[in-house]
Amino acid sequence: MRPGGRTVGDMIEVQQLTKRYGPRTAVEDLTFSVRPGSVTGFLGPNGAGKSTTIRMLLALTTPTSGRALVNGRPYQNLRQPLREVGALVDTAGPHGGRTAYRHLHWLAASNGLDRRRVDEALDRTGLTGVAGRRVRGFSLGMRQRLGIAAALLGDPPTLVLDEPVNGLDPEGVHWIRALMRGLAGEGRTILVSSHLISELALAADRLLVIGGGRLLADDTVEAFSRGHATLEDAYFACTAGAVAYRSGGVR
Amino acid sequence: MTALRAEWIKLWSVRSTRLALGAAVAFAVGLGVADTVAAVRGWDTMPAADRAAFDPLASAFAGLTFAQLALGVLGVLAVTSEYSSGTIIATLIAQPRRSVAFAAKAGTLLGVALVAGETLAFGSYLLGQAILHGKHLDIGLGAPGVLRSVVSAGLYLCVVTMVGFGLGALLRHPAGATAALIAVVFLAYGAAKALEVWSYLPSRLLLSNAGDVVAQVHAVAAKPRLPSLGLAYLDLALYLLAALGLGAWRSARDA
Repeated sequence: MRPGGRTVGDMIEVQQLTKRYGPRTAVEDLTFSVRPGSVTGFLGPNGAGKSTTIRMLLALTTPTSGRALVNGRPYQNLRQPLREVGALVDTAGPHGGRTAYRHLHWLAASNGLDRRRVDEALDRTGLTGVAGRRVRGFSLGMRQRLGIAAALLGDPPTLVLDEPVNGLDPEGVHWIRALMRGLAGEGRTILVSSHLISELALAADRLLVIGGGRLLADDTVEAFSRGHATLEDAYFACTAGAVAYRSGGVR
Repeated sequence: MTALRAEWIKLWSVRSTRLALGAAVAFAVGLGVADTVAAVRGWDTMPAADRAAFDPLASAFAGLTFAQLALGVLGVLAVTSEYSSGTIIATLIAQPRRSVAFAAKAGTLLGVALVAGETLAFGSYLLGQAILHGKHLDIGLGAPGVLRSVVSAGLYLCVVTMVGFGLGALLRHPAGATAALIAVVFLAYGAAKALEVWSYLPSRLLLSNAGDVVAQVHAVAAKPRLPSLGLAYLDLALYLLAALGLGAWRSARDA
């Protein structure tokens, strides 16, 4: 299952994806693709539609129109999805009464993965020592690591990480950055959403910027920040017209 | 198969499963023994009419009335805990076909509930008969209707568990689903009774009345407010189907 052995193509493809909740449009006519071997940052203000897009990508939410494909197929058509896409979604909380080991164990079993994968994922996320503890007692950072362990369980060529640095301490932030760089270096496709520009400036090769549910930019980090003092300046210039909550703005 | 294995691991890796089953056993044994011992003690002073109507299973099954609540709550928690913790998202990420995810969860619980229900029914029966044996009031499994009654008592407990599961899947909230379960299993009795002035039908369609009828050895044709044996089994089947149907329908919606 090494990603290096695969045909190189766009692992994530979003085509004219639209989601409306009643009169409100969360995501509008979004089209982009994510390339292998790089970390693609998914950036946008709160309420821009990042999480909704990721939820549609993972078939957790049904799009109003358009489609999202993983490895050329809709997510719901994947028979053992954990082997193809590793996902970190902050709402996918483990049951507090279950141990970290059992949480990963049932996930592995659901996709026919060997128990050895559980040990490897625990090891890679530094959770081996607390594997037998109930998740209830975990700190936010430990929970986040457990979520990443779950994403790595199937050794997937594609990873979709929604706000992975949330709750991590500086050491954890450093660790996840190195992890993402390492995974991309192995030829995997990484899509990582964040609202922390400085974090993405360090971790990402490419940026997808959305605002108000629309795609505002799809570029390399370098090209995106060209002509601006910092990436942050470039971001504010890019999202100026699409931010719902900036002071003085109207919703 | 992998989905069933995952659900099996999930079910046994939380404390509430063992607690609920333990509570069910404690209720079944404790109250069953107490009620049977009371019946044996009172036998000598019991009026002849009561002696004639004595059902050697009824007192042994007295504890099952409470055990059913523990099992129903097990059904509720098996599904609502996923929604309150967010594990349902992880479940759907691992198994995006919602019908498969629901079927695996329902099937796993159905198997466990059936084994638990039958174990409780046969355990209660054997314990009760051992106590009744002192007064030679015991009745063998070979006697007419006894095996059917004991098996049916277990079946009823399994249906109550699945009703809890269906309500949990429908309401996705532990407190709400438990309240609904208590309403369906216990409180509906009073409501149906109030309507008996106009019609016996509500009482005949009641889950608890169906449970009473299928678990009794003696014929109950004399009581028009209770369902016939055939209708009672049909009731159980309808409750099971309704619980699974509503749960499946709801689980197909966005989590």
